[in-house]
Amino acid sequence: MELNVALTSPFPRSEALVRATRDLDRGRVPAASVEEEFRRGELAVVELERRLGCDALTAGFLRSPDLFRPIAERWEGFAIGSLTRWLSTNTFFRQPVLLAPPGRVPGAFAAGLPPPLREGPGRARILLPGPYTFGQLLDNRSGETDLAVVHRLGRLLGDEVADLRRQGFGSFLFSDPLLVTRSPTGPMAESVVEAYRSIGRAADGGTSIVWTYAADAAPALPLLDRLDVSAVGIDLADTEVDRIPPGPEGRGLGLGVLDPRTTLAEDPAEVVRVVRAAATRRRAGPVWLGPGAPLDLLSAESATRKVEILARARSTLAGGPAR
Amino acid sequence: MSGSLFPTQEIGSLARPRWQTLGTRDGGWDADAQAEFSRWDEAIGFARDLPDARNAVLAGRAAELAPEAVRDLGALFGLRFLETVGLDRVYDGEARRIEMYEYPIRRMTGFRLEGHVRSFDSKYYRKATVVDRVGLEHPLHVEEFDFVRRHAKAEPKLPLTGPYTLADWSYDEYYLARQPGWKGPAARRAAKREFVVDLARRAVRPTVLALVEHGCRTIQFDEPAAGTHPEETDLLVEGFNAATEGIDAEFLMHVCFSDYRALLPGLLEAKRCRQWAWEFANRDGDGADGYEVLRTLREYPGHPSIGLGVLDVHRDPVETPRQVAERIGRAAKYLGDPSRLWVNPDCGLRTRRLEVARAKLEAMVAGTRLARAEFENPRR
Repeated sequence: MELNVALTSPFPRSEALVRATRDLDRGRVPAASVEEEFRRGELAVVELERRLGCDALTAGFLRSPDLFRPIAERWEGFAIGSLTRWLSTNTFFRQPVLLAPPGRVPGAFAAGLPPPLREGPGRARILLPGPYTFGQLLDNRSGETDLAVVHRLGRLLGDEVADLRRQGFGSFLFSDPLLVTRSPTGPMAESVVEAYRSIGRAADGGTSIVWTYAADAAPALPLLDRLDVSAVGIDLADTEVDRIPPGPEGRGLGLGVLDPRTTLAEDPAEVVRVVRAAATRRRAGPVWLGPGAPLDLLSAESATRKVEILARARSTLAGGPAR
Repeated sequence: MSGSLFPTQEIGSLARPRWQTLGTRDGGWDADAQAEFSRWDEAIGFARDLPDARNAVLAGRAAELAPEAVRDLGALFGLRFLETVGLDRVYDGEARRIEMYEYPIRRMTGFRLEGHVRSFDSKYYRKATVVDRVGLEHPLHVEEFDFVRRHAKAEPKLPLTGPYTLADWSYDEYYLARQPGWKGPAARRAAKREFVVDLARRAVRPTVLALVEHGCRTIQFDEPAAGTHPEETDLLVEGFNAATEGIDAEFLMHVCFSDYRALLPGLLEAKRCRQWAWEFANRDGDGADGYEVLRTLREYPGHPSIGLGVLDVHRDPVETPRQVAERIGRAAKYLGDPSRLWVNPDCGLRTRRLEVARAKLEAMVAGTRLARAEFENPRR
């Protein structure tokens, strides 16, 4: 089994960064001192990722206010709307309001990436919103249909990927949980397939992964298997392994094996068991292991403790001794 | 109550005045805190019931006050802040609580507090892990309620965090670890049910019983997590029923930032719930109708009364009385029965500065009067 390990979402902010950003909010410290803290935090996450043997580095995406604003605040056509609950969690995002057909501003997204990623794009994993979740959760006042918006977002995200590829970035993860929580059907499903076709073309030899969580992925897998990506990620805390249908032989498989909704550490032996079972059922090619739901549902300390399981499971799966 | 239609109430927390924050810390008061205290005391006369403490502050001897005396002043401040606006039901702005999750959890047994988790932007909260069977050494909120009861001029309504939300916002190690094998969806649900019911029976119910014994007649269960897992409405209801069954008091349930349709009809099984206090204003405006969801309730004629959120607690711009009146009118039209509406902010106003919160509440009371006049004396 070809095995890869990487983070799949923003990493939680450290207690020091929590203090710094709170102090900035309250006008107690200048932005420059918080910038230093962000930089320290990003380097610490990179260090952790290296220690875990991650095959791609995220630097934690600590500055992202939510999944959408890195795009919505940098592209054209958007305003930032009301506070909205993020899926079934006690965290919130500000709903993007699409006032006109969206337009990409070349270079703007890349300029907001964590500095350690910009300095070493070759090993970086870029976290992006999936076109379906993005299109469904924004407030569409653009005059375009929702179908057209998803289609257009796919094309623009594809352009973004192409641009990033030219800058040396090679790994892209699209967080698209609504593909399983509110699975599209009919013309919308076709629009999603088309959106990922744009992304797949742009990825051109790079790694593109669609990552799902927050609901049972099994019913959506026939659609997910049609998406033009290197791997389809499913969350094993929400998907019973024995319900996963077989997939196209050799297709990349992402497996969320850490559940950030609990601090209870997964049993590495159980992780190994379900990974083997899922990969066998799917007839999978390369397997990507990572946390399922976003890791920033945990505190930094708990997340750090929990991700250690990834390295232990990988070691066992690769034939090393069970620890 | 102030009239037959549209009684008003608060929902929970207020921002803490700076003097209370400083006065309960080692560093103590500064000149700004002293000035803030004097300004509010002049405006709403909140400290007159505690003359010794008030005189100490006004005489520049605030540092002599023990933290508990400052907290008493804080509770009185919250109470008078809400009463002098003209609300029919009030509490103390949750002046003695850190916030709605950490405060009760710290007073229960079986939990370990973890670090901060981001809620949004640069707002964070702390979560705890349940590491042992939930327990409670002393009922919660009894002393704070006694204080409110002694000083309240309006009817008190005590808010407490419901068992479902306490479970949902906690990490589960103890109950989940009891489930064998891989912790997939079925194992997680079974563990959560056990957790919710234990919280209801072993922590919330003893609290409710003690409060009722101390004369508390109206208790609001805050269940903001309810809408996050509509498929678990049966667990929410099971927790509510286990905590309230056979207890003689008026129970409300506050839910916010949720798709209320998804909770129905399951929520109707919380038989002892007399009111659903919901957020609406946050989703109203810019072409969106936040109140339209109330039409759905016509399908459920036996539903409880509605606590109607008319103030957006996440934005500073102050609603106008006319805007509030229009929202009430619209909601009454959708609901089809104005007599079943109470009026309140969307949620606790702790997210806003006190001056903004005050202005919003004043607009709410004025707007409610307008609506009341329009309904009681309709133009022909």
